[in-house]
Amino acid sequence: MEKSSPRRPGEVESVFSLTLDVIHSALVTYYRLTEEEARGAEEDLYTWFQRLSRRGGAGQMPARLLRISLLSAACQYGRSFQLWKLGGEQSADRDLNDLLAREPEEVAGDIERRFEEERS
Amino acid sequence: MTGKVIPFRGRPLSTQAGIEAANRVFATPLEERAAKSRSLHLDDPETLLAICGSLRERMNSAPASVKEEADFLYRFIEAPKREIGLFDERDYFLGEAALLAGTACRCMSRREEAWIWFDRAEAGFRHTMNAPAELSRLAYQRLAERFEERQLDLVIELLPSLVESFQRLGMPEDALKCRFLEGLAHVERDEPAAAVKVFNQICGEAEQRGYGRLLAESYVNLIHAHGMIGEAEAAIEASRRAIPVLKDLDDKIALAKTHWGLGILLRESGHLSEAIDSYRKAQEDFEAIGMRADIAALNLVVADLLLEDGRSVEALREISEALPVIAELKMAPEGMAALSLVRESVRRQEVNRQALRELHGYFQELQN
Repeated sequence: MEKSSPRRPGEVESVFSLTLDVIHSALVTYYRLTEEEARGAEEDLYTWFQRLSRRGGAGQMPARLLRISLLSAACQYGRSFQLWKLGGEQSADRDLNDLLAREPEEVAGDIERRFEEERS
Repeated sequence: MTGKVIPFRGRPLSTQAGIEAANRVFATPLEERAAKSRSLHLDDPETLLAICGSLRERMNSAPASVKEEADFLYRFIEAPKREIGLFDERDYFLGEAALLAGTACRCMSRREEAWIWFDRAEAGFRHTMNAPAELSRLAYQRLAERFEERQLDLVIELLPSLVESFQRLGMPEDALKCRFLEGLAHVERDEPAAAVKVFNQICGEAEQRGYGRLLAESYVNLIHAHGMIGEAEAAIEASRRAIPVLKDLDDKIALAKTHWGLGILLRESGHLSEAIDSYRKAQEDFEAIGMRADIAALNLVVADLLLEDGRSVEALREISEALPVIAELKMAPEGMAALSLVRESVRRQEVNRQALRELHGYFQELQN
């Protein structure tokens, strides 16, 4: 009998590396993190994502759903970090204020849709 | 300058180091763990992932120990509030520890505790990034608990929605596992032929996809369903296929159910004494893993057989052994009504057989 192997070796790393440019762009362009801040965020996201894929409910999840969780985490990170930097004040950047007012999951959903469109 | 001390956090562990740390945690007595938490790396997500994975594996071989471990883990993470890992990881581990504790309670028929743990699991999982997947796993455990409480109509109503959730989430193994409840509902409704059909379908898909545990557990249910119809050859074939895999997996719960299923078959084919031997083997297996409700249920089944054999004194002894456990379990009203009739008949030293059958009929589904 064939053994159950829900995840191919290297699949998690592959999902992360394919999504990295989009994550970087979201953190720097949308959430206005500096390059250095974004790199730090990406390191944390990579560590977290590797562990996410080994959770009870994520072990069988397909790549697309893992990517949505990753993008959602990236947007939450970007939003929380920028809000912390602003210290409760409004930014002079109106676009940034608009983005910070949105739920990170919603922003992640938009990014995921664009990601899918670009790939197809 | 402020006098604030920034706590030093060690380097995060690798996956392998997390597995080794988890083994050291298991080797440390529960009461010593909190004090040694730093040297044990108990707050490292890799350690916690390895602990949770190990507890999931051990659920069907040692539910009492899983409950104790998961309970400790939950309380360790919960208070005093500890920072665990990154982003949502603290919430995930709270949810996972509570789900493990609740599932273990369900296996041991500790129903009220199971519901409390399931509520705690929901509180944790709700804040995680992949909440739909984790909440769906929790929903399965809740439905399985409802099944054991005989809320069959509700289970049948909610099952398709849960299957759809697992399918949408790309979790085919969990979707297939849901069909167990469908098959068991047929058993409970005394429709063994329909149950055989469902479990054969599950076996086919589990074999094709390589889900060894699901396959073996489906065979166990096939033993039961074939036994109810008196299809000896098919029941024995199912047990021949199930037992080696279950031994390999150390699935003590399913092995005990195998003996139970063979007991049903022997009974249906008129071999009363051999049936009792098989039920006794199942009781021994359940005893080893602390499943008292199942032992009590089998006491009633054996009592029924003893009455059939004209051995009423022995039957009364069996019933007397079961009653305190059954009362402690706080069963559904229909079970309680049967229980009071049986109690009364024990007092009069003359068993009301119908009441006894209703009571062990109530328990029948516990073995599933």
